[in-house]
Amino acid sequence: MKHGVDRRAFLRGAVAGGAVAAAGGLGLRALLRPPPPWDEAAFPPPGEARVAVLAASSYDGALDSIVLEGLGAIGADVRGANVLLKPNLVEFDPLTSINTEPRLIAAAVLAFRRMGAASVRVGEGPGHRRDVQDLVTRSGLVEALAGVGAPFVDLNAASIRKVELRSRYTDLRELWLPTPVLDADVVVSMPKMKTHHWAGVTLSLKNLFGTLPGRVYGWPKNILHWAGIEPSILDIAGAVRPSYAIIDGIVGMEGNGPISGTPVRSGLLVFADDPVAADSIGASLMGFDPAQIAYLAEASRFLGQADPARIEQRGEDPGQLTRAFSPPPLGDGITAG
Amino acid sequence: MPIDAASLLDRHRNGDGGFGARAGQPSEPEPTALAALSLRDDRAKRWLVEHQREDGSLSIEAGPYVNDSATALAALAFDPGSDRELALDYLEASRAARVGSTAATPIDASAIGWAWATGTASWVEPTARALWALRVARPSSPELAEAVGLLRDRESVGGGWNYGNRVVLGEDLPPFAQTTAIALIGLSGYDADLEARGLRALRRLWRIESAGGLSLATTLVAFRVHGEATEAVRSALERLVSATSLVEDSVALGWAALALGEELPGGDG
Repeated sequence: MKHGVDRRAFLRGAVAGGAVAAAGGLGLRALLRPPPPWDEAAFPPPGEARVAVLAASSYDGALDSIVLEGLGAIGADVRGANVLLKPNLVEFDPLTSINTEPRLIAAAVLAFRRMGAASVRVGEGPGHRRDVQDLVTRSGLVEALAGVGAPFVDLNAASIRKVELRSRYTDLRELWLPTPVLDADVVVSMPKMKTHHWAGVTLSLKNLFGTLPGRVYGWPKNILHWAGIEPSILDIAGAVRPSYAIIDGIVGMEGNGPISGTPVRSGLLVFADDPVAADSIGASLMGFDPAQIAYLAEASRFLGQADPARIEQRGEDPGQLTRAFSPPPLGDGITAG
Repeated sequence: MPIDAASLLDRHRNGDGGFGARAGQPSEPEPTALAALSLRDDRAKRWLVEHQREDGSLSIEAGPYVNDSATALAALAFDPGSDRELALDYLEASRAARVGSTAATPIDASAIGWAWATGTASWVEPTARALWALRVARPSSPELAEAVGLLRDRESVGGGWNYGNRVVLGEDLPPFAQTTAIALIGLSGYDADLEARGLRALRRLWRIESAGGLSLATTLVAFRVHGEATEAVRSALERLVSATSLVEDSVALGWAALALGEELPGGDG
């Protein structure tokens, strides 16, 4: 349970207050260099990452077998771990493709169980809708989870603890995080592959907005928008530290995402043991240059790996599955309520 | 014997008299204020008084931001007197930050309502809550017109309300039942056309979103405030409470207990 033990130890340290990087042995150049906006002791330099891209043409059929294959390809180990799946569930509109598909979430539950997880739960704190009961019912998530006997945790209403941040991209200093997130051995970010009109793309890092409780941060997580979407993505990801990512690109969304875009049938799933690597490959599969997505480029400095030479790619040839998404329209401001 | 929302909510009471987001969780301002309102509960009121800040607010801190959006509900829950007046004074003084109109989010920049947290932008729900509290407890407040102005500006195309903007990046944002209902709970007797469009939208929306207790409960309160027929939504809410206990969510149960209870703050329409 390397991921689980490491993750919980990290979060315990964060709750206790965190350590500042030791300054001993610095040369003159290091002394003159401004310190990075993160605690170096908490974020060792990103190492090698593994990503697998698998073709998946439909949400029907033996999707759990594909998920199992993908998780196996990245060497995921969840034996004995308490796993929390964090899908992207924002609003429900039967005419488009906003949310991580419930059948994929259910398939992931089955796959993690087959891999020996001690427990698998699904948690989300929808950003736009306060009525989570309506959203999870009409989106089909309640039915899908009932089919596999997995519980749903409303992260907007779950118990919370305050965690001191170890990065400083926002002025938040600390975050209230749900205990189901903090106490999970393994958090799996399961975003929809889609564009985002303020952030560029919604993938496994942006998806973590939904771990924060709306009853503290408002709807649609307004304090985070005010503190800055991209800085907030970095601080939240630095606090949550997901172990794995599974990106739902079977049907994604292009154009004016994350809500008003157009469905895109990409027919793929992305699996990774590093959220930055997942999002770098995911953005490439959408036809975007990951280096041009500002928060992703910054995340690669401390949160994970974006260097293709250090990402071991398995599964399909990504080049064969790349489908250029229409970019989101350019916004010129996000402050209005 | 049917399960009723008030009894379910009552089971969530903590030893300190307050209510958490769910049973067993630490007490927080919003569920406690809703419980105090719907159950007419003196212990919950005492919790609110004990946790009211010197400035009159009830709040949760998030770093430098202070989510004070439960203050309006607390003002409604307080008995008439100094605690209520202090909360109302705070509401009148704690308007949202001014933001500009942009091509992406065109708004009337002069319309300023209330925010979820201090120093941030206006949103529909906190503005509607402030309007409700001031309308009921301080009906001569000059801030009432400001709240109505914000809701007028943020009305969705065709009527009703989304949680924030009317249009983003050229897309009309659709209204939802819960956000439309809360806006209508605040608005009553200020703008007949605006309210009529909202009610028309809500009569359609609640049936679409009837799987959710919060949507049904706030809709029922809004219909009662505006003197609309309530039998259908009342039955739907009672059925959902019996079938799901509203997933034991204290806020949803608080609204349901209020909706199904005898008397609303400010009375029925």
